[in-house]
Amino acid sequence: MEKFYQRMRKNLIISLFIVFYGFTAFAQQLTVSGIVTDANDGNPLPGVNIAVKGTTLGTVTAADGTFSLQVPSATSELTVSFIGYKTMEVPVNGRTDLRIMLEADVTALQEVVVVGYGTVKKSDLTGSVSSIRGKDLTTVPAINPLQSLQGKVAGLQVASTSGAPGSGTYVRIRGIGTFNDSSPIFVVDGVILPNIDYLSAADIESIEVLKDASATAIYGSRGANGVIIVTTKKGSATGGYPVITATAEYSIQDLPKKIDLLNGREYAIVRNKINPGTYNNVDAVPDTDWQDLIFRTAPLQNYQISASGGTDKFQYFTSIGYFSQQGIIPKSSYERVTLRFNNFFHATKNVRFGSNLSFTPFTQQNTNGNAVFVAYRAWPTLEPFQPDGSYTPVPGVGNVLADIEYTNSFASGLRSVNNFFAEVDFLRNFTFKSSFGVDLDYSKTKSYTPVFFVSPQQQNPNDDLGKSFADRVDWLWENTLTYNRESGKHRINILAGFTAQESSSEFVSLGMENIIRPTEDFWYVNIFPNQTTNSYAYNGVNPAFNFSMISYLGRLNYTYNNKYLFTATFRRDGSSKFTPANRFANFPSVAFGWNAINEPFLAGFASWLSNMKLRASWGVIGNEKINYERQYSLVQNGVNALFGDDVIYPGATYGVSGNPDLKWESTTQTDVGLELGFWNDRLTAEIDYYHRITSDILVDLAVPGYYGNGDGAVITFNAAEVLNRGIELKLDWKGSYRDLQYSVGAVATTIHNETLKVSGTGGLNDRLLGLFNGRAVTRTAPGLPLGAFYGYRVIGVFQNTEELNNYPHLSTTQVGDLKFEDVNGDGVLNGDDRTYLGSPVPKLLYGFNFNLNYRQFDFTADFQGQHGNKIFNGKEIVRPDPYNFEQRYFNFWDGEGTSNTEPRPSNGGVNYEPSSRYIYSGSFFRLRNISIGYTLPAQWVQKLGLKSARAFVRVTNLFTVSNFTGYQPEIVSGNAILNGIDGGTYPVPRISTVGLNIGL
Amino acid sequence: MKPTKYAMMRFATTLFVVCVSVSCQDFLDKPPQGSLTQTAFPVTAADALLATNAVYNTLRDPNFNSGLFPILDIMSDDANKGSNPDDQAATIGPFDRFEHIKTEGTLLRWWNTLYKAVRRANVVIEKVPLINMNETLRNRYVGEARFLRAFFYFDLVRAWGGVPKLTSVEPVTLPRSTPDEIYDLIIEDLEYAITVLPEKSAYSAADRGRATKGAARALLAKVHLFRGNFAEAASYALEVINSGEYSLEPVFADANSVNGEHGVESVFEVSSFGAEGLENGGNQYGNVQGVRGTPNRGWGFNRPTKNLRDDFEPGDPRLDATVIFLGETLDDVFIQGDGATPDVTTDSHGQEEIECYNQKVWTPGNTVPPSFGHNRRFIRYADVLLMAAEALNEINNPAQALVYLNQVRARARQGNVTILPDITETDKNALRDVILHERRVELALEGHRFWDLVRTGRAASVLGPLGFVPGKHELLPIPQTEIDLTQGLLTQNPGW
Repeated sequence: MEKFYQRMRKNLIISLFIVFYGFTAFAQQLTVSGIVTDANDGNPLPGVNIAVKGTTLGTVTAADGTFSLQVPSATSELTVSFIGYKTMEVPVNGRTDLRIMLEADVTALQEVVVVGYGTVKKSDLTGSVSSIRGKDLTTVPAINPLQSLQGKVAGLQVASTSGAPGSGTYVRIRGIGTFNDSSPIFVVDGVILPNIDYLSAADIESIEVLKDASATAIYGSRGANGVIIVTTKKGSATGGYPVITATAEYSIQDLPKKIDLLNGREYAIVRNKINPGTYNNVDAVPDTDWQDLIFRTAPLQNYQISASGGTDKFQYFTSIGYFSQQGIIPKSSYERVTLRFNNFFHATKNVRFGSNLSFTPFTQQNTNGNAVFVAYRAWPTLEPFQPDGSYTPVPGVGNVLADIEYTNSFASGLRSVNNFFAEVDFLRNFTFKSSFGVDLDYSKTKSYTPVFFVSPQQQNPNDDLGKSFADRVDWLWENTLTYNRESGKHRINILAGFTAQESSSEFVSLGMENIIRPTEDFWYVNIFPNQTTNSYAYNGVNPAFNFSMISYLGRLNYTYNNKYLFTATFRRDGSSKFTPANRFANFPSVAFGWNAINEPFLAGFASWLSNMKLRASWGVIGNEKINYERQYSLVQNGVNALFGDDVIYPGATYGVSGNPDLKWESTTQTDVGLELGFWNDRLTAEIDYYHRITSDILVDLAVPGYYGNGDGAVITFNAAEVLNRGIELKLDWKGSYRDLQYSVGAVATTIHNETLKVSGTGGLNDRLLGLFNGRAVTRTAPGLPLGAFYGYRVIGVFQNTEELNNYPHLSTTQVGDLKFEDVNGDGVLNGDDRTYLGSPVPKLLYGFNFNLNYRQFDFTADFQGQHGNKIFNGKEIVRPDPYNFEQRYFNFWDGEGTSNTEPRPSNGGVNYEPSSRYIYSGSFFRLRNISIGYTLPAQWVQKLGLKSARAFVRVTNLFTVSNFTGYQPEIVSGNAILNGIDGGTYPVPRISTVGLNIGL
Repeated sequence: MKPTKYAMMRFATTLFVVCVSVSCQDFLDKPPQGSLTQTAFPVTAADALLATNAVYNTLRDPNFNSGLFPILDIMSDDANKGSNPDDQAATIGPFDRFEHIKTEGTLLRWWNTLYKAVRRANVVIEKVPLINMNETLRNRYVGEARFLRAFFYFDLVRAWGGVPKLTSVEPVTLPRSTPDEIYDLIIEDLEYAITVLPEKSAYSAADRGRATKGAARALLAKVHLFRGNFAEAASYALEVINSGEYSLEPVFADANSVNGEHGVESVFEVSSFGAEGLENGGNQYGNVQGVRGTPNRGWGFNRPTKNLRDDFEPGDPRLDATVIFLGETLDDVFIQGDGATPDVTTDSHGQEEIECYNQKVWTPGNTVPPSFGHNRRFIRYADVLLMAAEALNEINNPAQALVYLNQVRARARQGNVTILPDITETDKNALRDVILHERRVELALEGHRFWDLVRTGRAASVLGPLGFVPGKHELLPIPQTEIDLTQGLLTQNPGW
């Protein structure tokens, strides 16, 4: 090191000055720097007060826990204090780099957990709530902060629906609670939202996942699928300059794994078996890897700078972030700017008010949605381009490169979520809070397909322009009154509230053909006089968001002697979504807790037992995220007819009948939990058993066709019932050895998902079939999981005519075809022999997290996995024409005894009936995240004018262990009865990142 | 504790009372935006027209065409499944061999779509009479709807026999009616329609395609023919013939081609615009049967059989106007066909099958969209003439029957005196055979053949070799789903 500085001195005059002044300072004083961390979990603590004992000198730690301070002498003593922690006296003893670990002051303050409409001490909590602090939320570069939570929260399943930039995140809590939207609701700083894609992870202070009825019933008709409460960062009273932090990350994304498809020669051989003589010389055919042609490596960038601070009367947090992701398939990208202004004012001693404002503009480009599937199916025996440079027609599927070139699809928009609140303390124990939140969502899309010709099947004779505009405005006004009193051994907290909400949205789409010029400057629906053009418009409200709601809510928390806990909540919701008869509904919950650790009879075990708490809850919660417009019997417009010289005349008639009796779905949930802590909570364990039954689930049931609703018409009924039960386990071990701090965490969740009922009195079905590509591949029936895979069970390959003649088979089956089991043993093979082939719902979700800190280094590894679910490889069964095959097809049956698993080569026909052949294990184990960071020594960074600096490298999705042949084993869909089906999903990339965190 | 509770309750109660009494119900009242509920429609003269137009919409519904695929011709001796051998082999293929099953989706789609059409007609029939508007127009709308309802029930009763008789917009639980009850409703609807509908010439050009008095008479003639009421059939057919509203297209091909749309021969047809999609005015009927490959006009179902081709008399020019052969040039478009489909193969009955297509749905062009523009002819004048001939023969008037039969042959012959000589047969039985043969070649691939064979009792002998089982295959099976959904209230047809 000394040599390094010597070189610098030689080279840079400016560094001479710095070092000179530095040395002169050392001569008289000492600059001490270091980091303050939580002794328990090793997390850095920001805002810690550090004072030099007996002086007025002092400082506050930065956001990353680091500090730097000049002390009068090498023997000075520091007083390190922070609310909620034991104050520590640290003698400098001549050291310049201190690592200070603060012990939590368990008696003075306990961890506070954010719950609906308030906070509660962790020890007083009767519900099942998982808390995640901000640092854990920025481990994965993604638009949705929840992406960082994969494998970290018991009971929570998070997955990407697709790897396309800007695509959605799948979030499920404790199984799948309904056939409809089973995603949780989000509450950001008190505003109830359908999603949080607009939030920058770096702006989040904490996320609480509310799981059981005691925690969620306060959200009434919206809490049934869980509630995720997000609290954004607030400023703290730093007094002087703001705490400024900046993060810069640059990542490269690539495709983690290619699908093993047949190469040109192998394809030619298989094809010759199907259509003899197709290829005269299989050794002379081209070998095109279409996957190589569509995938690329692509950058992802993420930058964020924030400033926070304030005085004891005013605190602020403000930030700007920029996120930019290019897709690993050309012509896909997502770009987003996040702006945030959080303010908090103390107007008087009793009155506080503030606001949390956010603005998120974004732009997105979508590539051709079929590109992955088209590349998968394209013949490897075709060169992508013809000798003249034009695209080669690819029979059946088209040329994917042309698909990509001619797809121009863009989206852009602005989301702004804001809330304003005021709180008044009065009459000693009362606080009244009023909060007004608005969620504004504006977006538009444009798409343009030019005139092109590749082949008669892949062409566009007239260019098309499509545009759409959507807006949504929600407001939510919430008023709560809390009464808080502690008297002797009694602690009581009562909450009462009234809220009102309204949401409205509109969607317009327009289209046009024959644009006057193909360039983007002309992508407007603009019909010029005398121009022959086809244009069309669709204008409609998006009824799912057009509603209003009024709610009354209340909660009682009572704690006796820190030992016995009782919580009761109640919410009454009235919603415009339902007819007056069903308009209001009540959602109660009760819960009990017992802090056994505070019982005298456990005092004797205090040396090793630091926590023991039992809790139990029961409640009823609702789900109103349903297609409530299905209650209406509407007139169907656009039922046109042609008369005269092919002139279209408008028509209108009765549409599908509605069901005026519709109401919300309701979930009854019971939860029993045990929390344990050992050795002063170095080891903690939390185990919960949950049992959720959702009834009155809205399902679309067929009614007799002669009612005249039309083919495929269904009527929605509150008819189905679903059970989810399981066990959640969370284990954490934290420890240190000399300069090494480490923590190891594990979470596991078991899910038993079962359909109890799918039929109603008003409509009939003993099962709901999920159709993929027009064929039933899932079946949801009592006793089976939601969306259970369904088809024939393969028991071999018919080896010879005798075997074929002696076993039931479908009529077109030939020797060499798959042998399906005659499941019902009736000697006839038909649709009745289709059977249960597995569940798309994992039986076990788990994760392991390792964190190490050693001096300047930090290391993190997050593993994640799931077990017990199946994937239906839909890509393989879509076979009307000869497409490319996966590798296993090369081991085709070619005469008796050659294979009892792979059938003879064929297109379509019995071998492509949905069967166990296409069912793969969905179990996987993934290194979700691995990172190594290096915090630069304080004395270095100070010389650069910084407070702190940390550099890191990180890889996300480094490897996944799985038996599935597709790009990734995590295949999820919001459609509960068509889940786990891989139809050619845009792959989720592997992301390699270098980054820098800086404190100013 | 206690005062606190009261304070809270007062707070809550006050809010509640204020809310409920002042604005709560209004606040929670959110009628559907941009959509009309059924109780508010149709209530004006304009609504009445919209509701009437909507009934016609179903005529272009892809599933209105026997559940998307032309299964009636495929079941007959006129056509094989067509398309690529694998395409729909498991779903439509069985109809070729009378191996179709009661769970086949095609049947359910057709059934459901016909009843949707009936319901749309019922909206007009039930609601339009309550509207205060021009009485003549109102009666015409109701007449159009009743004509169409009869048209839909005629398909239902021929395909499935006695079906539930839905005559109201309110869904009610109904068992199957008898075939007679359904026919009574059809006849009642058509007799009413004849009294209120204008003749074809009385409509303005802009209204071409609406139901006419002539169409109602022609349909009623056909209904009576199916019922074996030959006197009534002859009487209604003659009313059409004698109305002077119709004649034969000079060129046979124009009876179905673009040139003859709503022409002199057209008694009832549905206008279609050459664009994909029902909402854009398209009708997939022509597309499903269109030429595969090059040019790419469609799916190539309903492939004419050798049996049909051989049944044309020597030199009958109607053969070439009925079948598209590979290598021919139509409207300047060279028919190359589909490379993935074998040019010559053997059908499931051991007959030679060649790649060829139904020319009656041909529209000029070499891309897909214009193939949606074929106007399907439901009733054309040649059919009326042949119905008249058949009914007159049955009521022992062969002389007059021959007049109408020979009109059809004369047009077909196109002035070439060496072919298609006038028929002079007057023996009733022999003439019946001749007329049926004439129906086959004149109306080939237009959906008549299967039901003609069934109603004349010839299905067993003609279709037996193809798998037809008498006593079973005269009717289609009630879709199993429908039986399940009614929990067995609807019973299955015999033999199924």
